[in-house]
Amino acid sequence: MKELLRKELEKYKSDFDSLIGLHEGKFVVIHDDQILGAFDSQMDAISWGYRQIGNVPFLVKHVVKVEPPLDFVSNLLGV
Amino acid sequence: MPSFTTQLPNLQTIGPMIEMRVWVGTAMEEAIKKSGGEVPDPVPVKAMIDTGATVSVIEPDVAKRLGLKPVGIVEISTASSESVECYQYLIRLIFPNNVIVETTAVEAPLRGQQTQCLIGRDVLSHGVLVYTGYINQFTLSF
Repeated sequence: MKELLRKELEKYKSDFDSLIGLHEGKFVVIHDDQILGAFDSQMDAISWGYRQIGNVPFLVKHVVKVEPPLDFVSNLLGV
Repeated sequence: MPSFTTQLPNLQTIGPMIEMRVWVGTAMEEAIKKSGGEVPDPVPVKAMIDTGATVSVIEPDVAKRLGLKPVGIVEISTASSESVECYQYLIRLIFPNNVIVETTAVEAPLRGQQTQCLIGRDVLSHGVLVYTGYINQFTLSF
C-alpha cells in the first residue's frame, strides 16, 4: 500500500458524497486533510497546487461517480 | 506543426522506440525555483509509443532521479493484474526536434531494460501518429 497521499485519499473518500454534490466533474486539490479548491481541468488543478502548496505531495482527484479504468493491453508493464 | 520522424531498421521487431528525455513539469520547476532549490536536469530515456496504454508511464528510477512528488494516486489494470495502486506525476516529455508535451505519467516498473517510459494515449490524444511500416518509419506530430 502506498503511504504518500494516504491521508488525502481518505479525505476524498470520506467527503465523497458532498464532493459529488458540489463539484461533480471537477478536479479537486487535497492536501493533508483539507480540500483546497476545485478546477475545470487536471492541469489547472496541478498548477494551482504547486503555486499554493509548493513542491510537496498533494492529491488532485477527478470527482466522478465511476472512475474509468486505466488499462494496459501490452505486456510491457511489470505489475 | 511540431513533429519528428524516426526510422528504425527493425521497427516491426522492437516497436516504435524513441530516445528522448523526461523532465519535471513547468509548475514544479517554478515551485523549485521559488523555494531557491536546484531544478534537476532532464533524464534521458528510451521510450516506446504504446497505443495499448491508457496513460503514459515512467519507471520508478526516472521519478527518483527527477525528485518528483506525486500529484495523484490511481489504480491500473494489466493483462496479469488488476487495481494496482500507482503514483501519478506531472512531467514534461521532450521528444526529438525539441517537441515538448506536458502530461501526467503513472509510475510503474517496466519489463526488461530496454524501455524506461511508455508514451500512452494521453499524449497521442493531442497529436497524429503515422506508422509507415513498409519503410520502417513513424512520425508523431502535435
